[in-house]
Amino acid sequence: MVRLSLRQKIVGGFGLLIFLMLLLGWVTLLLFGSVRSVQGRVFDSAVPGVIAVDEIVRSYTAQSAAIRGFVINPNQRSLLAEYRTEVQASEAATERARELFTSDRERELLQDIEAEGESFQTLVDDRVVMLAESGERGLAFGALGSEGAAAIDQIQALGRGLRRIQAITLDRTESDLVARSNQAVITLLIVLIGVISSGVFLTLLIPRRLAQDLSRLVEAARAIGRGDFHQRIEIKSGDEVEELASRFEEMQAGLRRLQQLALQDRELQIAGSIQRNLLQRTMPESPGARLVPLQRQANLVGGDWYDIDVDGRTLTAVVGDASGKGIGAALMATVTLSALRAERSVGSGPRRVIARANEALLEATEPDSFTTLLYASIDLVSGEVHWLNMGHPSPFLIRSNRSGKGAGYFLEGPRNRALGWFEDPGLAETVIKLEPGDRLALYTDGFLEAKSPDGEIFGESRLAEAIISLAPLDSETIGQELVREVEGFAAGKLEDDLTMLIIEFEGSPATEVAQEKLTGEEPWHSRR
Amino acid sequence: MAQQKVEIDIEDAGGYQILRPSGDLDVYTVGSLRDALATLIEDKTPKVVVDLDGVPFMDSSGLGALMGGVRRMREAGGDLAIACTREQHLKLFTITGFGEGVSIAPTVDEAAKGFRD
Repeated sequence: MVRLSLRQKIVGGFGLLIFLMLLLGWVTLLLFGSVRSVQGRVFDSAVPGVIAVDEIVRSYTAQSAAIRGFVINPNQRSLLAEYRTEVQASEAATERARELFTSDRERELLQDIEAEGESFQTLVDDRVVMLAESGERGLAFGALGSEGAAAIDQIQALGRGLRRIQAITLDRTESDLVARSNQAVITLLIVLIGVISSGVFLTLLIPRRLAQDLSRLVEAARAIGRGDFHQRIEIKSGDEVEELASRFEEMQAGLRRLQQLALQDRELQIAGSIQRNLLQRTMPESPGARLVPLQRQANLVGGDWYDIDVDGRTLTAVVGDASGKGIGAALMATVTLSALRAERSVGSGPRRVIARANEALLEATEPDSFTTLLYASIDLVSGEVHWLNMGHPSPFLIRSNRSGKGAGYFLEGPRNRALGWFEDPGLAETVIKLEPGDRLALYTDGFLEAKSPDGEIFGESRLAEAIISLAPLDSETIGQELVREVEGFAAGKLEDDLTMLIIEFEGSPATEVAQEKLTGEEPWHSRR
Repeated sequence: MAQQKVEIDIEDAGGYQILRPSGDLDVYTVGSLRDALATLIEDKTPKVVVDLDGVPFMDSSGLGALMGGVRRMREAGGDLAIACTREQHLKLFTITGFGEGVSIAPTVDEAAKGFRD
């Protein structure tokens, strides 16, 4: 399809109209010319031809009459003069006719008339006049009656023949004139219809099409007002209106996306509220230990979670992180939490609980997803902690000495693999013993992977230094300050959740099991 | 949040493909990596070394996509190995345990030597 802009259409339309009008004028002039030429043929040739023939026949007839009168009375010389005058008249008429007659037949007939005329005049001049003047009138009459009358009859007959030809020419010219004027009328009508239809096209169709297309756009705009972003706008005008319509459709698509996002946002809010209900909001009674949770979600729903359970003197604290973000991560968190709680409710130990959660995640999730978690069981009396680290960042021990100065270490131990990918993630356990006043921080990688605008990550060193410097403060403040620091580092653009659970052990004094400081660049790492 | 893009170059190393993402591999960009890996499987060239040299940052989504890639390539009869010298990523592989059972080496050639047959 040829694409024409609105301007091209209007200019082209009016251009066509002007062209057609010029054509109309030209055709009219042509037709006039043609009719005039036919007219010319009639008035300049056919009619004068008839007159000339009549004049020839008449003059010969008059010659015959005049010479007869002269023969009857030879004393009347005027009749002889009249005869001479008529001879000149016949010659003049013949001359005119010769100019007017163009067809061979006409010329042939004219030549025959001339020949007959000449023989008549020769007869008159050579014999009849002489006989009449010499008194031989009987002989003169005889010559006139026999040869002269025959010549004149012949001339009259030839004249009739010429007239018939002229009549035929006239008839033909007349029918030609009728045909030409009919043709003229038809041509004029055709051109006129062309002019009128392009005029109608210009005055009605373009504005009407334009109005129709625009009203479609208006209807679509109204539909948008009603919240319907699916109204189809099919405009194929090939001009700016079609362009406008396609921009409009893009806008509709944008609005649909926005609507979808709003819907997703609503769904996220619902998912978030389900997740919040699922996550522990109130801390269970845990005599001998105080629990301080901290969570800052980057999105409405997140992949970070924690779970607390107290059963007798055993406190179970789990911090988990589902890979990815959004609904997918939240669903994975839900699967893990449900599996953990279900398995724990039937009295299974940590290893069985973890194995079951791994199975559940293997079944329920794509191979692109995994969950890391740290599953800790704390004896609220002895302070002994057993944990399984499933691909998760190492816990951090905060210890304040008597001078109030802070100290802390990442507690390394045997590592297992993340859940949801390996058939056998490993179930190695680490055991430590907390002293009263010790605080154990379980957290997610959001703290480590927070990224500065320069692309630098927060990392273990900064986290350890920050916690140690905050160690003299209470756990709530430590949490808040850490979040503030990490947010500051990321210039307010945190893309991952931050979750931390600080367990303050308040029990009877006990010694730490297998704690050893690591010397070197990372003094906050313990080694087992 | 503006959707960022990660550029991914694919090179045929004869016998295997080299995938070189350049840019962060995170939840916003990981789709490109996933698509590139899916294309390799569709093209029946499921042997690939992903070179993380041009990836300054990778989060759990990026790691997940790589591990999903390992699983899918293996199911398609190939493998995915990783060329990486960045401490930060190596640490991530160590912490999560994904470093075990996947060929990870400092160079593409060395990584390719560790393909499972």
